[in-house]
Amino acid sequence: MVPITYYLLLAAALFCMGMFGVLVRTNALVVFMCVELMLNAANLTFLAFARMHGDGIGHVSAFFVIAVAAAEAAIGLAIVIAVFRSRGTVNVDDIRTMKH
Amino acid sequence: MNVELVLFGAFALLTLLSAGLVILARSPINSAMALVSTFFFLAGIYVLLWAHTVAVVQVLVYAGAIMVLFLFVIMLLNLGESAHRGKPTLSRILGGASAVGLLGVLGITLSRVPAQPANLGPQAQATFGTMASIGQSIFTQWLLPFEAVSLLLLVAMVGAVVVAKSRI
Amino acid sequence: MDGIIDFFRTAPIPPDVLAPSLWLIIALPLLGAFVCGVFGRMLGRANVNLIACSAVAGAFVLSVLTFWATSDSAGGRVVNFPNPFGLERDVVRYALAHDYGTWFAAGDFRVNFGLLVDHLSGTLLLVITGVGFLIHLYSTSYMEHDEGYARYFAYLNLFVAAMLTLVMADNLVLLFVGWEGVGMASYLLIGFWYTDPAKAWAGRKAFVTNRIGDFAFLIATFLIVLLVGAFNRQADPRDFNAAGTSRERYEQALSERGPVNFKGLEKMAQGLPEGTGGKVSLETPIESGPLEGHTFGGVMTVAMLLFLLGAAGKSAQLPLYVWLPDAMAGPTPVSALIHAATMVTAGVYLFCRMSSLLVLSPTAMATIAIVGALTSLLAALIAFAQDDIKKVLAYSTVSQLGIMFMGVGMGIFWAAALHLVTHAFFKACLFLGAGSVMHGNGDETDIKKLGGLRHEMKWTWGTFLVATFAITGIFPLSGFFSKDAIFHGVEHNHLHGLHWVSEVVYALGLVITACTAFYMSRVYLLTFEGKRSSEARVAHAHESAWHMTLPLVVLAVLSVAAAVYAFPLMPRAGGGMQPVFENFLSPVLRPAETVAKAAETVELDNSTPSLLAYLTAWLVAISGGGLAAYLYLSFFPKRAGQPVGAVARAVRRVAHNKFYVDELYEFIIIRPIKFLSFILFRVVDSLVIDTVFVRGTAWVTARVGSALRYLQSGDAQAYAAVMAVALLGGVAYALIQVLQ
Repeated sequence: MVPITYYLLLAAALFCMGMFGVLVRTNALVVFMCVELMLNAANLTFLAFARMHGDGIGHVSAFFVIAVAAAEAAIGLAIVIAVFRSRGTVNVDDIRTMKH
Repeated sequence: MNVELVLFGAFALLTLLSAGLVILARSPINSAMALVSTFFFLAGIYVLLWAHTVAVVQVLVYAGAIMVLFLFVIMLLNLGESAHRGKPTLSRILGGASAVGLLGVLGITLSRVPAQPANLGPQAQATFGTMASIGQSIFTQWLLPFEAVSLLLLVAMVGAVVVAKSRI
Repeated sequence: MDGIIDFFRTAPIPPDVLAPSLWLIIALPLLGAFVCGVFGRMLGRANVNLIACSAVAGAFVLSVLTFWATSDSAGGRVVNFPNPFGLERDVVRYALAHDYGTWFAAGDFRVNFGLLVDHLSGTLLLVITGVGFLIHLYSTSYMEHDEGYARYFAYLNLFVAAMLTLVMADNLVLLFVGWEGVGMASYLLIGFWYTDPAKAWAGRKAFVTNRIGDFAFLIATFLIVLLVGAFNRQADPRDFNAAGTSRERYEQALSERGPVNFKGLEKMAQGLPEGTGGKVSLETPIESGPLEGHTFGGVMTVAMLLFLLGAAGKSAQLPLYVWLPDAMAGPTPVSALIHAATMVTAGVYLFCRMSSLLVLSPTAMATIAIVGALTSLLAALIAFAQDDIKKVLAYSTVSQLGIMFMGVGMGIFWAAALHLVTHAFFKACLFLGAGSVMHGNGDETDIKKLGGLRHEMKWTWGTFLVATFAITGIFPLSGFFSKDAIFHGVEHNHLHGLHWVSEVVYALGLVITACTAFYMSRVYLLTFEGKRSSEARVAHAHESAWHMTLPLVVLAVLSVAAAVYAFPLMPRAGGGMQPVFENFLSPVLRPAETVAKAAETVELDNSTPSLLAYLTAWLVAISGGGLAAYLYLSFFPKRAGQPVGAVARAVRRVAHNKFYVDELYEFIIIRPIKFLSFILFRVVDSLVIDTVFVRGTAWVTARVGSALRYLQSGDAQAYAAVMAVALLGGVAYALIQVLQ
């Protein structure tokens, strides 16, 4: 039996790595991938707790997370394409449209 | 030293290695490939947690569909290795440091919480994490959220078309 | 004979059928106001006239039926309703009431929409709707050339509705609704020709002056509510027994009908006097609440004095009478209806309605009587030197209201109410006559520029003469009897510990009678007798249409006929005879009598005036009128062109300028307030609020905003980094908290 703590520690490590990537990488696509990493860390936590309590709800939640992640990837990539088309770059340093 | 622990250790190590590659690789295509492998190893971890169905869906949807989408976009945009790595600005340093700090804090916190998996009886062992039990739960108790998610996917589909179109 | 009596004793509509429909009396004029006000322009002049008049006529018919029902005693059973505050057997006789449920409630406080018609409010109903109808009819002709006819009739109907609410309300708060409603209608009608700044200003003056009074009214209402609460807490069974009720019944009625119901107040008044032997008397201090430590009697006196201030605002008494003469800026029928016959008598009605509370406070009664007498005298003296016919009548109204207040203050409520009614008749007749004179003479109001109208306006002349005799107090017209009944009561009633008040007020009353006779004769003589003035606007006056003369004739007949009410024709309970009206109002005023007897605050005398007293009053009136006749018919015409003495000129100038009361108010009240307002405007408003608060806030916000602008880089990653730092901080803080 592997203690659930290990799984949680693994999830924490994954989450922090994803977060590190989001905050540090400049390529918008890689940033997206790192967001996927963070989502997977959350999924892992759900499943670990489901195992800990012997409850199936965690699995259902993980399903929903995957579905939402798919939606998010579709929209996010569409935005990346649109931005690349109008600006010719996917570098977040060059995209500062949130300023007025 | 039991088999489970060994497997867990192997998968965890490989997952972390692949994840490290994702955030460190220079070329986005390398990042994407590393991410695929991360998902595969994570699916292994899921199996260790008796979440067989989720593990299958992880491979099918994540490693299959979503990552293909990523690769398509990378090829479509013809992104090679980025010329510059990005300047180490104050916000990057702060952000990276806080991510590392968060890992430390979470590590301290979690290592103080001893958590053990539940002892499931033989009947529960037979149904836990199976497609049948999850489906039952989704289509009875969680029907409304499920339908909402399906609507969300529809909206995302239409939205993606509208946003990415050059001209309809 | 018996058949006739039976006919009048059997109401055509039984009281229990009529009571739930009392609201219709108010609703009809209100509907008329709505229709005239909203659709008036579309309907056209004739339809508006028809709707407005028929709304009031309908209310009049209903009022007659209601009034009839209040005297119903078919089959030997007198009309009555169970007194909610009394024991089961306790009924209010000769009255109709209906409770339409809660209007609003907050905690223990509750106000019901309840209507009550007894003999007092029934009489006023007839006066309001009857005189109101005549004045509506008159207005159809008087306003025939005015463009704002729809607005005019809407306001007039609104006024009637509000006044009916005031009179029929069975509690103080609902009465206050009517009180405010008539004030608003009065404001709208005084400023009816609002394009003329002076008239609009007169409307505002009336409104603001009334507001001061209304404020006092509200405070008094709050005091009464607190007093009822304290009484309910502190009274013991003997107190309730004296009031003819029990604690259970009283408390139940309080929770159902609220503390401001007149019947409940009456019960409290009956429980308060010393003689009841209960725990609570006028000297008992209140034990808890905001009034802790004050005695019941003291609070009652303060409340009644505040009500006096409120009534002084509405009924144009000192010190708030100044608005009424200026209110003559409104159309003349309005002056007749609102500022002579009905609204201004609201104060008198209020005190009659609360007579049982009023008699508990001799101090307040004496104050009311003295205020009334002084107002009456001052107004009569000012009226001497006014040349505007409407101004003279306005001051005469103030003076007559003062006489009513004297009656109320000395505890002779029935006579005050009778004078209210007769005054409504003859003063409305005088005002309408003045309106007719103005209508026939190109809107000339200066009596010096009129004269000799006797032959040109025969109907107006005849009715004006009758009404002048009535107000002067010439035997045997109604004004003589009602005024004399008041003065008789003033002379013979005595307030406990304040005996001198009777004598002083009575002496003033005789002076006022002479003055009234003088100035009314003067107005009459200058307007109708003598030769036509050379300064007249039109060469020949024309008599008005029948719409205008018919109301004049009806009112003149009523001014004569109303005298019947003062004849001592009814048997008195203790032997002897009593005036019809006293007998008629006795169901309403009996509680006041019993309270006065128990509290020993007022010695009520109920003898009938002797012939000698009648003769004295008559001689005083005749002498005043005679002096005026001599001066204006013989003395002044002979001396025309000769120089007038300096003293006479000075006296005349002072009187003409209304004793400089307006200027005095200007100096001691308005100037300081204006100065204070100026300071407030410059320092508080301009400097503190505008500059420091308003602009200062904007300035600080702008500076902070432009400083923070540099933080907005537009870099999404930087924003995320800030979030991450905050997340780390939050988690670390939580961890530290847990570790400790």
